[in-house]
Amino acid sequence: MGTPELLRLHGLDLELLRRGSGPPLVILHGFAPLDPQAPVLDLLAAHAEVIAPTHPGFGHSPRPDDFDTVYDLVRLYLEVLERLPFEKVTLMGLSFGGWLAAEMAVSCPHRLEKLILVDAVGIKVSDRETPDILDVFNTAPTEVRRRSWHDPGRWAPDYDAMEDDALVGHARNRDALCLYAWDPYLHNPQLKRWLARIAVPTLVLWGASDGIVKPDYGRAYSALIPGARFELIEAAGHHPEIEQSAAFAERVVAFLRH
Amino acid sequence: MQAWYLNENPYPFVPPHVLEAADSVRGSLPNKYCDPKQAADLFEEALDEYLLCDDLGINVVSNEHHAGINCLFGASPLILGVLARQTKKVRVLSLGTLITVRRDPVRVAEEYAMADVMTRGRLEIGFVKSGGSEMASGNANPIGIVDRFWEAIDLILKTLSHREGPFSWEGKYFTHRHVNIWPGPWQQPHPPLWAATGDPTTSAELGRRGIINVMVFRSIEETQRAWGAYRQARAQAGLPPPGPDRFGHTAFVYAGDTDEEGIRVGSKLLWFLNTGLRSAPQYGKFLPGAIKPEAAPGLYRTKPRPGTPAVARPAAALIGLTAEQAIAKGLMFAGNPDTVYRQIKEHQEKVGPYEHLVLASRSGFMTHEEATKGLKLFAKDVLPRLQVL
Repeated sequence: MGTPELLRLHGLDLELLRRGSGPPLVILHGFAPLDPQAPVLDLLAAHAEVIAPTHPGFGHSPRPDDFDTVYDLVRLYLEVLERLPFEKVTLMGLSFGGWLAAEMAVSCPHRLEKLILVDAVGIKVSDRETPDILDVFNTAPTEVRRRSWHDPGRWAPDYDAMEDDALVGHARNRDALCLYAWDPYLHNPQLKRWLARIAVPTLVLWGASDGIVKPDYGRAYSALIPGARFELIEAAGHHPEIEQSAAFAERVVAFLRH
Repeated sequence: MQAWYLNENPYPFVPPHVLEAADSVRGSLPNKYCDPKQAADLFEEALDEYLLCDDLGINVVSNEHHAGINCLFGASPLILGVLARQTKKVRVLSLGTLITVRRDPVRVAEEYAMADVMTRGRLEIGFVKSGGSEMASGNANPIGIVDRFWEAIDLILKTLSHREGPFSWEGKYFTHRHVNIWPGPWQQPHPPLWAATGDPTTSAELGRRGIINVMVFRSIEETQRAWGAYRQARAQAGLPPPGPDRFGHTAFVYAGDTDEEGIRVGSKLLWFLNTGLRSAPQYGKFLPGAIKPEAAPGLYRTKPRPGTPAVARPAAALIGLTAEQAIAKGLMFAGNPDTVYRQIKEHQEKVGPYEHLVLASRSGFMTHEEATKGLKLFAKDVLPRLQVL
């Protein structure tokens, strides 16, 4: 269990993790693909059929040369929704994947059952001189590490302990994120005005200690989506699905059943 | 051989305790540590050195870096404007406007065409990829930099050489639907072209295009590798072998009255490596695209593992060199004029003949007077012998 399968579409091989049974839950990952060994996957798979693609360019997913914008990613995943044998799915987006999920939700709300945004990026909230999202490329790595996690000593990646393959993947993830999201940095200035189109039940989950995008940004995001509910997860930073996998899964499952 | 003088115009006067506390001397150091009055003096001295070169028969080089103590010249075109008017004889090389950072290559071409006309055809155009902190200060995506570099060059060259009214460019990185500059360049179809790179893949492309390949502080091995790729690419494309005029080398050069003086004063140039290159990891090894992902294990780990050797970026190998080490690597030529001549000759025997020697002959705490003295001595007692090489 845990070996990703490949979905071939439009000339690219998309890596997909599939696990569990129940209502379909498509998860779009953030700065890094979901680890097949991550506890959160099994916790969710006990209640849902989890389908988690790896964005082209991240992890081991190949990226065609001319596939290089968020537009391409959004089109790709709208196509994935068409291909899946479900009328509707619940879409969950983590961090960068939250941006993609929000774009999909405004483009194609009729394919969604529910929407879950987790420490999502994608919009501009504050004034022009106040960055909403920590610049993970131009900021010292020690500061990025500190602000990514509630407990960096326990959860931040340790390059000396990581295997070669994981380090290569880490570098690919960083390059791919930079390609897609350098400018405008991790957001689409036009997206905010269209969030009102989201007409499905929406849960906005946020790590209370997130220093990449702070909870107030999440509250503002949530307020722009009609009827959305905002919830904090304590003792978690930008990756609550990793730092507090049980509490995270509990909130998600409760929302799925709601 | 032709000599070219390059003063990057660094600002060495930041207090040492500030430099020690800073994670980077480029990109993020606040400009409150740069006194505009001292900067004005440095500009004046550098421009005076360029005018001296005009008298001495040493060509001049203008370059550009951003947001750091290593170089106060933040806009090569501005300096070209001054040099175009104030120099009368020598050739003027821009090495160069950072085309991977500038949004509009057409504007770059327009500036170069003006400078070429104002110098009545003494301009040479150099392309540099830049990198590191320049991506942050220029808000430029570090991913795709090589493709962007070549598309910018293609658009600049078409803009310079196109004579028949507006043309349209809708490329991957740049779009400009109505390109038509006035004036076009003095030199037709465009001024001579240079590019600074030690990357063999880029050198191979320079070879196919016949662009002058100049090394900037590259070791003998790196130079051999890059120029080998240049020659091989030409041979594979069925093009004639390149002459020495297609190659250039940049080194710290200082001629003193004695070997002792040459080394003592010349060593001050190493400030550029030992202080001016210090850069934060986010502008270096963690800069996206800085390395192929496959090299990450050797670069990211602080404790290398057996079987996965540590990987260092070229700049990292330069920090902390002594004068002797720099001379042994061909990065520095220093001593009395006989010694400097001999070192250059020996370097040429190792890497192959090259027509262009770029003299990085003022940096760090070297004074204007010291730089001036070295340049005069070089022009009188070294350059004439190099010209018959």
